[in-house]
Amino acid sequence: MREVNPASQPQYFPVTSFDLSQCDYLSFFLLLCNLAMAQTQTQRPCSSIIDSLGEEIVRIIAPVSICMFLVVILVSILNTDSSLFDASMSMVTMAYTETTSDSTWDKFLGALLNSLAFVVLVTFATFILVLLFYFRCTRFLKLYMAFSTFIVLGFLGGEVSLFLIQQFNTPVDCITFFLLLCNFAVVGVLTVFMSKMAIFVTQGYLVVIGILIAYSFTMLPEWTTWALLVAMALYDVAAVLLPIGPLRLLVELAISRDEEIPALVYEARPVNHGNLSPRDLVQRRRLWRERRVDNSNLQTDSNSALGHGSSVEFPSGSDGNPSNNLNMVRENPSRNANPTANSPGGSYGCISLVNAEEEPVRVHETDSELSAPLIDRGMNVQHGRGEDAVPSENLMLEGIGLGSSGSIKLGLGDFIFYSVLVGRAAMYDFMTVYACYLAIIAGLGITLILLALYQKALPALPVSIALGCPVYLMAKGNADVGIKPPTLPHHYHCATQTSGERYQLCL
Amino acid sequence: MESQNNNPNPNPLHRNSLPSSMPVWPTIDGSLGLSEEESVTYARRFYNFGFALLPLLWAVNCFYFWPVLRHSHSFPRIRPYIVRSAFGFAVFATVLCSWALTFAIGGERLFGPVWDQLVMYNLADRLGLTSWS
Repeated sequence: MREVNPASQPQYFPVTSFDLSQCDYLSFFLLLCNLAMAQTQTQRPCSSIIDSLGEEIVRIIAPVSICMFLVVILVSILNTDSSLFDASMSMVTMAYTETTSDSTWDKFLGALLNSLAFVVLVTFATFILVLLFYFRCTRFLKLYMAFSTFIVLGFLGGEVSLFLIQQFNTPVDCITFFLLLCNFAVVGVLTVFMSKMAIFVTQGYLVVIGILIAYSFTMLPEWTTWALLVAMALYDVAAVLLPIGPLRLLVELAISRDEEIPALVYEARPVNHGNLSPRDLVQRRRLWRERRVDNSNLQTDSNSALGHGSSVEFPSGSDGNPSNNLNMVRENPSRNANPTANSPGGSYGCISLVNAEEEPVRVHETDSELSAPLIDRGMNVQHGRGEDAVPSENLMLEGIGLGSSGSIKLGLGDFIFYSVLVGRAAMYDFMTVYACYLAIIAGLGITLILLALYQKALPALPVSIALGCPVYLMAKGNADVGIKPPTLPHHYHCATQTSGERYQLCL
Repeated sequence: MESQNNNPNPNPLHRNSLPSSMPVWPTIDGSLGLSEEESVTYARRFYNFGFALLPLLWAVNCFYFWPVLRHSHSFPRIRPYIVRSAFGFAVFATVLCSWALTFAIGGERLFGPVWDQLVMYNLADRLGLTSWS
């Protein structure tokens, strides 16, 4: 797929026929293959703006799609009894554990309580993260991230692979199994720990971590899952857009210090705009795009909203004076004036900050560290651009990202919650999966467009969840009634009118 | 004269004047990756840590420094580590694969009752690994 033209995307929004549920699955898979191939194509210089924009979008949508696809596969293959995970989900279900004998209202209340407790926990943990980052406890944060990655990859990964082994009865011996698992976990920890590892390896491990955590989240009781999704979407909006939001503070801090966000953040490979030669790319040494003067945008405090929370980040050109900008202290001593030094300041190492949750570490720490905002990185073409810089011009030259290399960053929490939604849909029907997938991708596309427009850190969860949840309910409602294309509008009408009753029937 | 007119750089992505299109960057990420000085440290560290029963680290080493492996006589400081890592990974992979295949295909006929003790799903059931809380 050489050219990705966002204007005409028949492959993203095909006309679905309800009879062909299996074909939908196949086309879903083909679409993902296409996206994956586009993602892994070599860094050819893009000849036009549409090409580069499309390439950037594809490079972030492809791993999200792969994550969702693999979670769907895991969920449909492993029909594990959810009681296995109940204890491990004790942190999330601490307020209330759903049983089948409870009434609907009890379930609803319980789910609300659970999700509220979880959001409070995540907020608290994120504030601790911001505090630690503020006091430059980078070493501790990195260690904690490495530890939590090891737990996720080692224990969760081991458990999932054991489920798979049991499901397929593969005669693997314990020596080989433990050796491979150990290797996998340790190399994963190293990729997270080291700032400069192969980009593909880092991205792969982040996606795997997302898959494992999303799979374990799908084991939650149903009502709690949906309440959690909505609650996290709301939290995301609050944390990224409010001035006191922890994610916003974290991003501001990171940008002002020109440091990496101490969290698990997936960063897409930057697109080579404007046919830069490989040597020229070296000149970009900053982590973040230098704040451009933007006369219309006086958000001086909105620049650094990174952190936990699935949000898209932009550092916006705040005030009109680039010289007295926030302190751009170069923390990283390795970035010197040597032009042959490494390029865009270690942006490919994802310093994962794990929020300290003692208990089922695999549930929480990932959430806070993973829900880093979606950050757009712009290429730093010229330092100290003048007052009359036109943002849209720069946008096109530099790419829609916030970082100095124009790449888009998406927090791992986004991966996880998108995959949880789709995984929940997979427990029901593949048609539902496809519909939810399209809704989520549409939401992500809208978020990316907003990112390009507003040049600011934005939450990536709310739009997708807001589109995905109703689509799930509609698709489920349709499937219940009976799938007949000619009477489709009638069924939608029925579904919306009697939604309360149908909801009870469905769930 | 003819040789002077030849394009000294057949690969347009690699800007140098050597006729053998030597890569500029030692890592697979190209300009986004490491410089040559840092690469030596990384390659050496990966190679040494791989001895702790981590063949995957050797494999990552080879993958990361693929240009070094592919173009012989390039980056003379890095290349020994990468070549040795590749060799180590190949040996380890052969041994492990042969062991795993023997175990899987041989089964109880070859191993006797030990097979039931070693196979993973039985071990998981016995130790209760899948109902881990």
